[in-house]
Amino acid sequence: MKLEDDFKSFLVFLSMFDNTYLKNQQIIDSLGEDVSLKHFCKSKFDGILTKENLDKMKERADINRINNYYNNMLDSDIVLLTKFDKDYPEKLRDLPDAPFFLFCRGDLSLLNEKALAVVGTRKPTNYGRVVTNRIVGDVAREGVVIVSGLAYGVDSIAHRKCLEVGGKTIAVLGAGLNEIYPAEHISLAEEIAKKGLLVSEYSPNKKATKYSFPQRNRIIAGLSDGVLITEANIKSGTIHTKDYALDYGKNIYSVPGNIDSPLSELTNDIIKSSQAQLVTKASDILVDYNIVKGESGIKKAEKSLNYQLSIEESAIVNLLKDGMKEIDFLAKNSGLSISDLNSNLTMLEIRGIISRLPGSIVSLN
Amino acid sequence: MLSKVKSFGLKGIEGYPIDIEADVGNGLPHFEIVGLADTAIKEAKERVRSAIKNSAFEYPTKRITINLAPADIKKEGALYDLAMAVAILSCNSEYKIKNEDKFVYIGELSFDGSVKPVRGVLPLLISARELGYKNIIIPLGNKEEASYITNINVYGVKSLRQTISFLCGEEELEPIKSCEYSSLQNNDDYDGLDFANVKGQAMAKRALEIAAAGGHNLLMVGPPGSGKSMLAKCFPSILPDMTFEEALEVTKIHSIAGELDLKKGIVSTRPFRSPHHTASTVSLTGGGANAKPGEISLADNGVLFLDEFPEYSRQTIETLRQPLEDGVITVARSNATITYPANFTLIASMNPCPCGYRGSKDRECHCPPSKINRYLAKLSGPIMDRIDIHIEVDNVTYEQLRSEEKEESSKEIRQRVNKARALQAERFKNSKNFCNAKMSVAQTKRYCKLDSMGEAMLENSFNSLKLSARAHERILKVARTIADLEGCQNIEARHIAEAISYRNLDRKLWKE
Repeated sequence: MKLEDDFKSFLVFLSMFDNTYLKNQQIIDSLGEDVSLKHFCKSKFDGILTKENLDKMKERADINRINNYYNNMLDSDIVLLTKFDKDYPEKLRDLPDAPFFLFCRGDLSLLNEKALAVVGTRKPTNYGRVVTNRIVGDVAREGVVIVSGLAYGVDSIAHRKCLEVGGKTIAVLGAGLNEIYPAEHISLAEEIAKKGLLVSEYSPNKKATKYSFPQRNRIIAGLSDGVLITEANIKSGTIHTKDYALDYGKNIYSVPGNIDSPLSELTNDIIKSSQAQLVTKASDILVDYNIVKGESGIKKAEKSLNYQLSIEESAIVNLLKDGMKEIDFLAKNSGLSISDLNSNLTMLEIRGIISRLPGSIVSLN
Repeated sequence: MLSKVKSFGLKGIEGYPIDIEADVGNGLPHFEIVGLADTAIKEAKERVRSAIKNSAFEYPTKRITINLAPADIKKEGALYDLAMAVAILSCNSEYKIKNEDKFVYIGELSFDGSVKPVRGVLPLLISARELGYKNIIIPLGNKEEASYITNINVYGVKSLRQTISFLCGEEELEPIKSCEYSSLQNNDDYDGLDFANVKGQAMAKRALEIAAAGGHNLLMVGPPGSGKSMLAKCFPSILPDMTFEEALEVTKIHSIAGELDLKKGIVSTRPFRSPHHTASTVSLTGGGANAKPGEISLADNGVLFLDEFPEYSRQTIETLRQPLEDGVITVARSNATITYPANFTLIASMNPCPCGYRGSKDRECHCPPSKINRYLAKLSGPIMDRIDIHIEVDNVTYEQLRSEEKEESSKEIRQRVNKARALQAERFKNSKNFCNAKMSVAQTKRYCKLDSMGEAMLENSFNSLKLSARAHERILKVARTIADLEGCQNIEARHIAEAISYRNLDRKLWKE
C-alpha cells in the first residue's frame, strides 16, 4: 500500500512520535486547512514544539520513510485508528483526554461492545485469585468483553480466565504493540491478538516507561462500561484506573475483603466512601448491565453447585463450602486416605469444580 | 640380589596388579623408586627405611632400586609401602623368607614398623579375586572391609615384623573370617531419622513413599522451616533394603574416597549425601588430577539431596543431566578417564519464591512477580524433565506438632516399598534398569497401558489443567508405581489422577 501526501499520511507521520494528545491536536489546528507534510515542513510551531523537537520531526518528514513505517505496521497486522476515523470507538471519542491514536491488533468490533474492566494488584492472594477467576468467568460467559492491562496478577488472571471460557477480551498496553511488557506475557498477548484485541496508544516500537502505565489506565477505564476491582492495596496503580473511571462517570464495582488484609484495603475503602458498588457475585454486575433481569435470570446466571458427585467427592466439596482449605486439613477431616484424596482432588480439578492454589490450598471455583 | 612381589593399584573403582621389583646391589648407599610414582610413593623410601630399621631388621647399606611395573601407568598413594619393604628384605637371604611371591601386599608403613589402614581395600580385593589371586595381605585395620569377600584368603597384619614372621613360617595367621551380610540388614541404623517422628505432612510422606517405591526423583517446594530437610533426611529410611551387590558397589566407592567407616567395613544403609549449594561442580561430579569420585557417585544407590535447588550454579545443575539419565558419570582428566556409577535418587528442595513466603499462611511474600519468575526459571526444562514428582510442603501447625496421634513408622512404609520393588524386579528381570523411573520410552509404552477411562482422564487433564507435554511420560511412570504399591496389574484412572496431583509446578495458577 502506498500513501500520498495527504491528510491520512500526515496522521500516520504524526503517530510516529508519541506526542501527547494535546500537542497533536495543536499541530493539526495550526496547520489549518492544508494538513500535509509539505505544509508541515514549511511551518513554524512557536509555543507548541521546541526547535529541537521540530527539527527531529522534520528530519523524518519523508514520504518514503512514512510508507516504510506504515507497511511495517500492516505486516504485523496492526491497524491504526485516529480520532478522525469512523471506526474509532465512540466510548473514547468524547473524553477530554481521548487518545489521539489507537494502535490495534485483533478484532476491532470489540471496541464498541459492552465491556467490563477488571483490574487489581499484581500480587493477588489466593482469595484474589479465586474471586477474580469466579466473577470474570461468569461475566465473560454472558458475552461481556473483559478489558484489562496484561500486567501480572489480577490482569493476567482475568485475561486467561476469559479466554478459557471462550469470552472476548481486550488488553490495553502501556507500551507499543511490538514491545509486550512483561515479556512473560508475550504468548498470552499473541493469544489475545488472535481471539480478542490488543490496544495501545503508543507507536509499535515504543518501550514502556514509568509514566505510560498510569496513562494507559485511562483507556482501560474509557473502553469499559464499568470497572471491577477484585483486590488492590492503597498504593496500587489501580487507584488511577478508579479515578479515571470516576471522572468518566463509569460504575465501579468492588469486591470486599478481610479488613486486616492489606490487599483488600483499597477495595474496602472505596465501598466505605460510596465510590464503588459492593459486588459478591457476577450477577450483581450482570443485572447492572441489563444482561440478566429478574430473580429467575439471576438464578440462571449463577452457576449452581449441582454436580454429580461421588461420595468421596462430595465429602471433599462439603468441607470446602465454607472457604478454602489446606490439603492436610482435608486429609484429616474427609476420612479419605491420602492417595484417595489426591486422586479425587485431581478429578474435581479436571471437572473445574475446585482449584489448587500455592501453599497446598484447595478452593471451590 | 633381585626380588619381585605383587601389589595392587587402583584405577577408578577397578584394581590392577602391580609388580614391585627390588634390586639391592653394590654401589653407594642410595634408594631410588622408578615407574611413574607420585610424591606419596617417592616419600615411601623414608617410611620403608625407618620401618625396616625400627622393626629390628637390618637396612642394607647398598644401592636399592625399586621398580613399579607396568611402568607406564601413573601410580599414587601409600599402599605400596609394605610390598616394597617385603621386596627389600627378601633380597637378604639371612631372613629365610619363603613364598613371598605367592602373596599380594597392600599397606602403608609407619616409622615404628606398624602397618596402617589404606583407602580402597575392598575394590582391590574384588579385582584381585576376579584376576585369580588367592592370598592377600592387608592392614589389620582394614579387616572389616575384607570380611565380606569370600573364596580367597585375606590376612590382616599388624606390623612389618609380623608379616615377615608369617612369611618365614615362624608365626601362623588365620585368614580373615567372612561374615554374613544379612546379619547387618534389619539393623535399622538411621539415627532416629524415622517418619514416625515427623508429625503431619501426610501429602509429602505419601509422595516420598511413591518416590522410594519407583526410584523417582522428587522436588519439594515450601517456605523456610516447613520441614523439607527433615523429610529428605528421613527418606533413606524408607528406601528398599540394599542387596549385597549394591552394598559392595557403594562400599567400593566410599572406600576409594576414604569415606568408609573402618569399624563397619561395609556400607549397609543407603547413603544420603547433601552437598551445600556453594559446592563446586567438580566436587559433585568427581574429578581432580586423578579423577576422584564426587558427591553424586558417593550417593550411588542412595539419595542426593540438594537443598535450595535454584541456588546451585546453573552449570552444576546442568551437569546432573547425564548421570540422571544414564546412572553413571564419566570423569575425564589428564591422568585418567574413569566411569563411576551414579545411580542416585535426586531429592531437591526449594522455596516458592526468593523470600520464601509465597502462598504461606503465616507471612506475606514481598517478591515482585518478575523476580519470582526469574527464580522459577532457574530450573531449566531439561532438568525438570527428569524430576517426576513435585509437591508442596507447608508449615505444620502447632496442634499437629503437639498431637499425640501416632504416625506411621519408616519400617511399615518400607515394607510396602519393598513389595512394590519386588514387582518391579520381576517386571524388569530381563533388562538393565530395575525401577519404574528408569523405564525407556518403549518400556513405558509396554508396561503403562491405560484403559479407556484412564486415557480419557489423562486427555481431560491435559486440556483443563494445561499440563505441559513433558508431564505426560512422568505421569505414566508415577502412575505405574502407584499401581505397584497397591499390587494392581493394570493402571486405573484413579492411579493416573493421583499421579497428576504430584505435578504442582505444571499447574497454571502456580505460575500466576
